[in-house]
Amino acid sequence: MRASLVWSSPNPEKTIAVAMRRCYSTKPIEDIEAELQQKGVEYWKYLLVKCLQDKSLDVLEHFTMTLLVEEASGVEVGELIRAFPYLRFSGLDSSSWLLSLNARTLVEMSRDAVGKALAKLVVGELERMNVSPIFNGVAFGGETHAG
Amino acid sequence: MEARRTRVKLLYHTDVTALKEAFLTKRVPFDPALVMEHVVYMFEIEDCSRVTTHQLVRHRVASYDQESQRFSAATKEGVVVPPRVESNEAARRIFDETLKRVYAAYDELVSAGVAKEDARYILPNGIKTKIVVTINARSLMHIVWQRTALQAQWEIRELATTLHRLAKEATPELWTEVIER
Repeated sequence: MRASLVWSSPNPEKTIAVAMRRCYSTKPIEDIEAELQQKGVEYWKYLLVKCLQDKSLDVLEHFTMTLLVEEASGVEVGELIRAFPYLRFSGLDSSSWLLSLNARTLVEMSRDAVGKALAKLVVGELERMNVSPIFNGVAFGGETHAG
Repeated sequence: MEARRTRVKLLYHTDVTALKEAFLTKRVPFDPALVMEHVVYMFEIEDCSRVTTHQLVRHRVASYDQESQRFSAATKEGVVVPPRVESNEAARRIFDETLKRVYAAYDELVSAGVAKEDARYILPNGIKTKIVVTINARSLMHIVWQRTALQAQWEIRELATTLHRLAKEATPELWTEVIER
């Protein structure tokens, strides 16, 4: 199985921070975004660490990504979907798939026997494309624990 | 209790061009129906009532994070007034007077040391709220189809119409059919 990143949410760490602040702030979105910009990446990292520690993983669902998965059989995909129903697989040909998922599912997959091989591929792609270095560092310790 | 209209902002959406390139790589013709669950929109919705967000979150294929009443104090100016109350002088008077009593009681409970998470039990359904929603195109299409129906309530009909307009402007190739009712 191979995976290549097609698209992912812009500014993923800031997007997660926006979702987290939304729960605790009465301010309009522009004020929350300005506050996050002003406080900088260390604060976004602090919020990420907190949500993972508190197991408030719902905020990670706003970081979404789409990949092209190749050399994967229908049997392999079926097994993954049964274990992780929030994965979106659409077949392009007999062994190629468009896969969409969010960062919560990615974290959950990385901790699961069925999901960790795919999680390792996806995290490797995020690292290769330098999409979310802070998230990867916090959630996977700079490298995937899936291996 | 001035009625400020609901504000909706599209925070990001999937770049459909990137998906088209994946189809090109595999030499497969692009199919909008096939990418409906791969195109995602993140919206911020502000100043709609909790009545409407209760209806919204019934649509379960989406991710929601909402302003919490456990941690944020209720703001007195923040209640959505239904147009049929707004336009009826007697009803508007009852509505405003009751709100004044409710908010006074809320403040008294908080002053008496009751936690905001408990004092909020007295707050009205119409209180304004803010929520972020991340949703794929198929799920959003279902919301538009269901919540623009005549049977749907006026506030979520307005919201569904706005969500539809923003999604259609961002990704017109996915929204070619008339689905509003």
